[in-house]
Amino acid sequence: MKLLKKGAEADIYQTKWENTNAILKIRKKKTYRNSSLDEKIRKHRTIKESEIISQAKSSGVHTPLVYFVNLKNSSITMQQIPGTPVHDLSPSQITKLSKSIGIAVGKLHKNGIMHGDLTTSNFLYFQKNIYVIDFGLSQNSIKPEDHAVDLRLFKEILNSAHAKIMETCWKNFLSGYSSILGSKYCEKIKILVSEIESRGRYAQVV
Amino acid sequence: MLGLGIESTAHTFSCAVIEKSGKSGKILSDVRKIYKPADGEGIHPREASRHHIENSPQVLSECLNEADVKITDLDLISYAGGPGLGPCLRVGAVVARSLASFYKIPIYPVNHAIGHIELGKLLTGAKNPLVLLVSGGHTMLLAFLNKQWRVFGETLDITLGQLLDQFGRSLGFASPCGRNIEELASSSSNYVQLPYSVKGNDVSFSGLLSATKTVGKQNKADACYSLQETAFAMIAEAVERALSFTQKNELMVVGGVAANKRLSEMLQDVCKRHNSKFFVVPLKYAGDCGSQICWTGLLESQVKKGVSIDKTFVTQSWRLDSVKVEY
Repeated sequence: MKLLKKGAEADIYQTKWENTNAILKIRKKKTYRNSSLDEKIRKHRTIKESEIISQAKSSGVHTPLVYFVNLKNSSITMQQIPGTPVHDLSPSQITKLSKSIGIAVGKLHKNGIMHGDLTTSNFLYFQKNIYVIDFGLSQNSIKPEDHAVDLRLFKEILNSAHAKIMETCWKNFLSGYSSILGSKYCEKIKILVSEIESRGRYAQVV
Repeated sequence: MLGLGIESTAHTFSCAVIEKSGKSGKILSDVRKIYKPADGEGIHPREASRHHIENSPQVLSECLNEADVKITDLDLISYAGGPGLGPCLRVGAVVARSLASFYKIPIYPVNHAIGHIELGKLLTGAKNPLVLLVSGGHTMLLAFLNKQWRVFGETLDITLGQLLDQFGRSLGFASPCGRNIEELASSSSNYVQLPYSVKGNDVSFSGLLSATKTVGKQNKADACYSLQETAFAMIAEAVERALSFTQKNELMVVGGVAANKRLSEMLQDVCKRHNSKFFVVPLKYAGDCGSQICWTGLLESQVKKGVSIDKTFVTQSWRLDSVKVEY
């Protein structure tokens, strides 16, 4: 099997499933972690990811199809999406796609799914659609606070990795988000986001 | 160029002299006096500032003697303008202002956290690293982009240093408690399940603190061991996520908690997996010191002329990602 990507918590391999291209996402043992903690984390995340990836799909969000889950080695075999991570696209494309990302996140939240790791490398652009991947830190939650945690992370990533286009991206993202959840809910989440930010170390408290 | 740096953000009052030529700097002296609260207690800002006031003349003169320079030889003075404890910050600023105005030496307020990073870069030789800043005041993952240090991940509540100190104090240790916890942790290998909270590249420690206090009532060693394993694994995971997202091939660890061997060991393993170089600031300069302030002041003097006395502020909340770095 060919190694496609060494991610933060899992390795991604190219594989075949019923003669179609697929990827194998395997959470390997981390030697630096205490073994019982390591075991628990890898197993828990493999189960959560495979469950929620399918839930997200039925919420109308583009995600890969899960083919097979193997809890013995904490691996998931799933459909390969041959798209480009949004992170690697041009600034003008990222700005434009921010709205679709907002729509996708809105759909997840509307259906009680918190993604948990909304970085720009976890959205793939493929055939004019946004695919959401990497549900390892996902949870089922309808709590506005959890949804705000999601949005804050996305904002933090825009601020750090895409600083120059941050303002417009964030605006577009919110307009997509509120088109799904309504402007009232969106405003509520925005307030919660600034509350989380104000809890940050040495944040300017107004 | 000869610079004097004065650090007084928290429990340390320190003065240092560095000689800078081109891009290299040589630390001529770095003298510190550290305020020690009673066992089981944290820093009392008023008591700490009193300690700094009482010790400042001695630290300053020792620092100059050791470096074998006179005040009039100095090209600039820098002090920690924040973030930190207000009363403590003011002591360093007063010393700096007095010297600067009496001897007419240019003065520079410096961000303490940037100081940790810049001194780390000077001492380790890291070029373009992902920085893990772990101390009593900070737990942050940073990378440099467009003239500013950008935050790629941080704690959403308390810092790693606070987590260790507050737990340590609940066992009656003297702050800072990191070393005591590390020692006690090495006597156990019994892992007790504790809350593990990584949110994207961010971490949250408050739940872990409460849970560990409960475990600590049963068995101190197990609690220390499990606390270190859980908290450091969270940090290591956040580092892995940030490394893979930023594609940096260097990791540099700075700040007081950088002295912890178990944390270093874990991060070394992370770097091996990601083919990144691992840099950790030398033990002596991991904690707060005048050198970090002095070196940053010297770097700033490349592009700035210093500030007038009426602009020599101190501020308790001064996030490092709000500082423009022009040098």
